[in-house]
Amino acid sequence: MRRTGVFVCHCGINIAGTVDVKKVAAELAKYPGVVYSEDYVYMCSDPGQNLIIQAIKEKKLDTIVVACCSPTLHETTFRNVAKIAGLNPYRCEIANIREQCSWVHREKDKATRKAISITRSIVEKVRRNESLEDVSVPVTKRALVIGGGIAGIQASLDIANAGYEVILVEKSPSIGGHMSQLSETFPTLDCSQCILTPKMVEVAKHPKVKLMTYSEVQEVSGFVGNFKVKILRKPTYVDADKCTLCDECTKVCPIVVPNEFDMGLTGRRAIYIPFPQAVPATYTIDEKACPGMFDTAIACGKCADVCKPGAINFDMKPEIIEVEVGAIIVATGYDLYDKSMMAEYGYGKYPDVLDGLQFERLLSASGPTRGKILRPSDKKEPKEVVFIQCVGSRDPELHWPYCSKICCMYTAKHAMLYKHHVPDGQAYIFYIDIRSGGKNYEEFVHRAVEEDGVLYLRGKVSKVFEDNGKLIVWGADTLTGKQIEIAADMVVLAMAIRPSKGTDELAKKLKIALDKDGFLAEAHPKLRPVESMTSGIFLAGAAQAPKDIPEAVGQASGAAAKAVAILSQERLFHSPTVARVLKNLCTGCGMCISVCPYEAISLKESKAEVNEILCEGCGTCSASCLRNAIQVKNLTPYHIQEMIKACLGG
Amino acid sequence: MVNLEQLKEEAKKILSSGKIKYLIGYENIGASWQVRPAFICRPEDVDRLVWTPACFHNLTRFIHDEKRKRAREKNPDLRPIGLIIKGCDSRSINVLLQEKYLERNEVYLIGVSCELAGVIDETKLRNHLGGLKPEKILFGEKDTIKVIVNNEEREIPAPQILAKRCLECPANYPVIADIILGEKIKRNPTDRYKSISQYEKMSGPERWAFWLEQFSRCLRCYACRSVCPMCYCDECVADSIAFAVTAETTAEEKAQKIRWVERNPEPSENIFFHLVRAIHLAGRCVDCGECERVCPVAIPLRLLNQKMEKEAKELFGYEVGFDASQPPLIACFRDNDPQDFIR
Amino acid sequence: MAEEFEPKIVAFLCKWCSSAGADLAGVSRMEYPPNIIPIQVMCSGSVSPLYIFSALSQGADGVLVSGCHPGDCHYMKGNYYARRRLALVKKLLEYIGLEPPRFQMSWVSATEGVKFTQLIKELVKELQPLGPQTKLRRNF
Repeated sequence: MRRTGVFVCHCGINIAGTVDVKKVAAELAKYPGVVYSEDYVYMCSDPGQNLIIQAIKEKKLDTIVVACCSPTLHETTFRNVAKIAGLNPYRCEIANIREQCSWVHREKDKATRKAISITRSIVEKVRRNESLEDVSVPVTKRALVIGGGIAGIQASLDIANAGYEVILVEKSPSIGGHMSQLSETFPTLDCSQCILTPKMVEVAKHPKVKLMTYSEVQEVSGFVGNFKVKILRKPTYVDADKCTLCDECTKVCPIVVPNEFDMGLTGRRAIYIPFPQAVPATYTIDEKACPGMFDTAIACGKCADVCKPGAINFDMKPEIIEVEVGAIIVATGYDLYDKSMMAEYGYGKYPDVLDGLQFERLLSASGPTRGKILRPSDKKEPKEVVFIQCVGSRDPELHWPYCSKICCMYTAKHAMLYKHHVPDGQAYIFYIDIRSGGKNYEEFVHRAVEEDGVLYLRGKVSKVFEDNGKLIVWGADTLTGKQIEIAADMVVLAMAIRPSKGTDELAKKLKIALDKDGFLAEAHPKLRPVESMTSGIFLAGAAQAPKDIPEAVGQASGAAAKAVAILSQERLFHSPTVARVLKNLCTGCGMCISVCPYEAISLKESKAEVNEILCEGCGTCSASCLRNAIQVKNLTPYHIQEMIKACLGG
Repeated sequence: MVNLEQLKEEAKKILSSGKIKYLIGYENIGASWQVRPAFICRPEDVDRLVWTPACFHNLTRFIHDEKRKRAREKNPDLRPIGLIIKGCDSRSINVLLQEKYLERNEVYLIGVSCELAGVIDETKLRNHLGGLKPEKILFGEKDTIKVIVNNEEREIPAPQILAKRCLECPANYPVIADIILGEKIKRNPTDRYKSISQYEKMSGPERWAFWLEQFSRCLRCYACRSVCPMCYCDECVADSIAFAVTAETTAEEKAQKIRWVERNPEPSENIFFHLVRAIHLAGRCVDCGECERVCPVAIPLRLLNQKMEKEAKELFGYEVGFDASQPPLIACFRDNDPQDFIR
Repeated sequence: MAEEFEPKIVAFLCKWCSSAGADLAGVSRMEYPPNIIPIQVMCSGSVSPLYIFSALSQGADGVLVSGCHPGDCHYMKGNYYARRRLALVKKLLEYIGLEPPRFQMSWVSATEGVKFTQLIKELVKELQPLGPQTKLRRNF
């Protein structure tokens, strides 16, 4: 019989308020095999930890159960305590009597009874645990950053500056992301391009950074410290080394398609450079647009004819490049919510109903109008502009329940910049609330109202329609209770922020979770905001939740620091709670092999064999085995059976 | 119709060639109509072989014994063993192949088609004959069965006395074999899952009353397990006594043996045992019906296995025993597997 | 008034979604009846039918298996195998006449503290009128 110690934490009143911790300790003291049982106000505090160490030594405990908060919080803490006291860390288990007991119940005696049951079942578990040593593997000292927006650029620079190699993968032809499309940034109104371009150049020139634009992650396998990634490099059909940026090719290309950089407000050729400051500075042939690539397999070849350096190469093929990395940062950013969902605001029907990014392009000195605010329909200066906030956000019935966070600020900026361009014009903003939490943000909104005379109207817009060359905006001012009708020249919609297209597929490849709205899920909403649930994969920027530039940059640096923490290790330790085969029960039927998500099992001499490095210990194999011949260490059917017994007994 | 002489001829041929270790077929018990498995080692013994509607046994079950024996022997005779197999038996071969328990070259398969007949149900026959004892039972023309009673030959339409499983059989000819005797005539069952339909219509409490009555009778003699072609585990998880202890078994392993089910033939334990059996046979049972036939207390075990067979087909489009290369039922999934039961 | 029957429910919660969802219910200070005893497993895919039969045999009035939503499994596919395997278990248990609420499966993600709370409340409500589970319970 084992000598088990039970340590019941009060967690102040967090547990003790609902659970009679003294009684739990007393009941457990009577439980067979428990030779020591104690309660303490904060087990995780230094005195609490010392109490455990003392007890282990004095009472010669060989297994311990700490009844406290969720194992996600303090399992590591207490396993370290066990280790300090000379026990194998796997001789320590956590009974979760806070999150799954004291915090969710109100009746003290019932909660106490439940806490006793939970703790007993964990006592049964721990006493069947084996002492295990971590499986260790060497670390590949290289990081992969997916997404070349500001978050990805920042993360890459931080890791590279720490001295580790970085592979930065961007799916479009240039890095820069949405930030490169912006005119000025709030609240300082400094030019977005001016602050971004130096970083783009720096990351591209950094000796430790390997930039892979026009590339996509295709397959990811492996685990923390040892990921294997297949990257698809799409052909640009232009040799960047030879291209001199003379721009002769675009003059002869006969194909015009909407320019995504200008959000469709202008056109571009099938051969194009996304924008003048693009990095890498080179042209790309859009194979979907170029008729030669897509339809007839015979390119018209005009671009190649005029290209003096001979940079155009129609024979370029997609390449799959396999890389090994130790850590991955996902910074795939956002897209705006599909405007076609907003029929009531006439987007798509009326050319002068724009989204926020289109308005950014109008404001931009390098944009379609060279920084003049002109209506797309007739190129006239709009005198009345209505901005509508929360389009698709904060609308749980029809669209998305969450707040897109950055729209309040950029709409204030838009209205302000509009006034700077058209001083005699009028800007109206329909809003639900103004959320301007952030350094100098509130002041910025005040400046829009006070200095630039922007008119804020609290309420929602019900409809936008065209009448006699004007966009009629129907809305309600909920502060005065009046119906409002504005005959506007232009309407700008602050569309909800959505995770960028393809985020879900990428998440599947990376085996990381999405939250209910489709953003990448962080491991803990408060304490692990830059980590995914999968060890070694970190999150940065708007792919995790809507955020503005400083937040995205901050999270990117955080993710980079986390990645560096892995890359700076010589070896990483892998949990030893992996599957084990009981050879004399195994018949070699191979069901476990079929179900293993990690291809960690193979047949050797007609018996299953587990690769401990690849095994993640999920146990799907064990449930599929008809003979219980494959079991996860320390959570075997035997453990479960005894746990069921304990939690139903008494 | 399967020609018995041709069957004997084929048996003789393969035995004379020395390519198989022995052949398992069927022989009469004395002069009676009853039939038992026959192990034929010499070509001259093939005359013992018979093929009648009383050849119930699924002989694939004997593969387990042979394999265990070989594992124990120092220099085992590794020639394949020959088997005479019906349609249902052939599907159990496929499942054994699917589970890599068997290699195809470990068996030589002489398939016999049941054509429009099959094997009889003894109770049905008894009732049909009104207490008279049959002397011989043979296949008749087309879908009849010839029964000789009091030296008098009677032609009985097969559906009247066939076993239910044969009337519900999805393929009454071998789907895998080295040679097949008889024609591949498919009897299309009007309702493949007819046996269970009346129980499915019952209310929950009615079903419980029915099953409790059935399971209460169980003696835990394990005949169902012994006769089952799928029960080849050395150690049965649902039986605390059948622990496989070998030289490598550690003390810790012994200590960790789980008694999921107690040996007492109490209803609770009987139910647990049969639940485990049913779930372990899901996607593996080919409905050869042997478990039910051998049960000394007549527990209708087919009703459990057929239920699982039906659910596998209806929920997951899974058919047992037709394709040895498909992954086992519970070792695969489809993205759109039904989940309306999940909250 | 007689005291309401308090069913005992064994809940197999996967570590990454459902147990985390249950933790979130706690962090958010939601309230649900204390009738469930959680057993954390790594993945719903690791729950063997034996565990369910065993819990019922040992006197559980209800058994819940909860995992990640399809597509969200931390181990990618475990919940799909669980879904198929446990669908069969559910059909089988109902076929022998066990009341359907006695065995349940759910998808609860790490963000669905509210759903978890609601689920447990509903489960208890459904099990209360059924009284103690005696059909599969070992009574010796």
